[in-house]
Amino acid sequence: MSKILVLVDQKNNQIKKSTFEVLSEARKIADLVGAVVECAAVGTDMSQEASKLFSYGAEKVHVVNHSLFANYLNPAWIQAYQEVVKEVQPRLVMTPTCETSKDFVPGLVSATGACGIMDCCSVKWNGDKIIVDRPLMAAKARSTVESAHPQVLLTIRAGSFDVTQPDPSKSGKVVEREFSPPSILQVFKELLAVSSDRVSLDDATVVVSAGRGVKDAEGFALIEELADSLGAAIGSTRALVESGICEATLQVGQTGKVVTPDLYIACGISGAVQHTAGMSNSKVIVAINKDAEAPIFQLSDYGLVGDLFKIVPLLINAVKELKS
Amino acid sequence: MKIYVCCKHVPDVAMPFQIKEGRLLSEDLNYVLNAYDASSVEAALVLKETHEAEVSLVLIGPDKGKEALRKGLAMGADNAYHICDAAFEGSDSHAYAQILFQFFSDREYDFILCGKQSQDMDMGLTGGMLAQKLSIPYVTNAVGLEVDSEAKSLTVKRQGDLGAEMVQTPFPSIVTCSNDMNDPRIPSLKGIMTSKKKPMEVIDLAGLGLEESQVGSSGSSSAIVSWSLPPERQAGLKLEGDPEEIVTQLMEKLTTEAKVL
Repeated sequence: MSKILVLVDQKNNQIKKSTFEVLSEARKIADLVGAVVECAAVGTDMSQEASKLFSYGAEKVHVVNHSLFANYLNPAWIQAYQEVVKEVQPRLVMTPTCETSKDFVPGLVSATGACGIMDCCSVKWNGDKIIVDRPLMAAKARSTVESAHPQVLLTIRAGSFDVTQPDPSKSGKVVEREFSPPSILQVFKELLAVSSDRVSLDDATVVVSAGRGVKDAEGFALIEELADSLGAAIGSTRALVESGICEATLQVGQTGKVVTPDLYIACGISGAVQHTAGMSNSKVIVAINKDAEAPIFQLSDYGLVGDLFKIVPLLINAVKELKS
Repeated sequence: MKIYVCCKHVPDVAMPFQIKEGRLLSEDLNYVLNAYDASSVEAALVLKETHEAEVSLVLIGPDKGKEALRKGLAMGADNAYHICDAAFEGSDSHAYAQILFQFFSDREYDFILCGKQSQDMDMGLTGGMLAQKLSIPYVTNAVGLEVDSEAKSLTVKRQGDLGAEMVQTPFPSIVTCSNDMNDPRIPSLKGIMTSKKKPMEVIDLAGLGLEESQVGSSGSSSAIVSWSLPPERQAGLKLEGDPEEIVTQLMEKLTTEAKVL
């Protein structure tokens, strides 16, 4: 029987929502073609967490636990996944697109001889062909790509698929694998992470985003207040990161994160394509900009033309009132 | 130090383009040096300012690809290799990686830089695949790069999922670069003039010792079968006027119509 293998994306040994999106779709495809769905999870301690995957349709989870997975260096990820792929021999491998997968997939694809296609937003398995759609040209265009290669590895764009209702009656097998670390020439020196109590961009259902119109740190503090009143994550444009007003991890766009929240509030953002490439699939887009002709208004469901320094404080009050 | 920078000549994504009957109309497109590769060239040139280094550019592409190489030479690179053959057309990342592997397999270098992805395909596979084929370490998405030529190692600042990471990697390695790393210099008039005298070697299929079956569509494991435009988002409601009023209207819409609050 053919196999689909889903590579699990985790943070601190917690499976991220994007993995459940990919697994849900893998299960749908498997049910259509009559295939088996298995997962592979690497981390320092993933055995317990792995059992969450069964209610979304995984039949078996291959777990590789090792202290090496505390910090990211691609040889460890490539070797671990390569060994699982060798044993499972999946026809199709799927994993969420993220900085980690964008980094290890090229090496894994070369090591396994698979055909790699990055950042897909739809997947079809048609006989001997895997057919995907994916954005390109800075997400201004879409391409349909086909491969008849015996093994295809896809990364999946965030928010492309819905998470199915979990079925807690489903069970499966967790298999812990032995791992002999490869020789690693790279050295992980330091993680310059900004710890925050605020919900992260990856998980948020509401995002408040700041652009050049926010002007400075004082303006940014206003955005933070709006985000906190909504329990939202904060996003930003490249301009704001470059001016040093906020961290690069908040950048949404072609070279930053791609987000698909239920609500995206763009404050002082003009709507250049490099930014919108990262948020145009949000369910509802609100834009606040003093320029009535700003391109963002072409995308927004609700556009407010005006001074964000007047509008945002009013919005904060209105949200606080609603929540009280 | 011997530094190679891999470059690609790509359509300028900032300019409008047309898709007709599933095809990208490439005839009228303006082509430029891939922005991510331009940042890689810039990174190499910055290192050249403080270290003794030779910066060589490599590009796979048709004849007009030499414009991208000229740009890099005008910025300050020392020489260039134009890998050019009709057989390479229709290559995907796998075929590109194979071609570059053939180019590098008998060459000496300290490290290879390239853009983390190309602006047309946004695939981001070639750099890492090349490193794996060459059996050398690779680090992607670099936003900062430092070299210790005595210790023969690179310190890369990269953007990861949790934040910025500092990773050290020894010579020889491949580092793929983000355009967040720097603002590539604009070639001076002097740079443009001197670039014309800098060596550019053209290498074809036979010159690399490759067969036609290893490159182009035959050497690729996937193919684009059609192009389309992404589903367009319609412009929605635009509210102007008194801030208090429009905020009230927005709240009403978000709670009753959109139902996201």
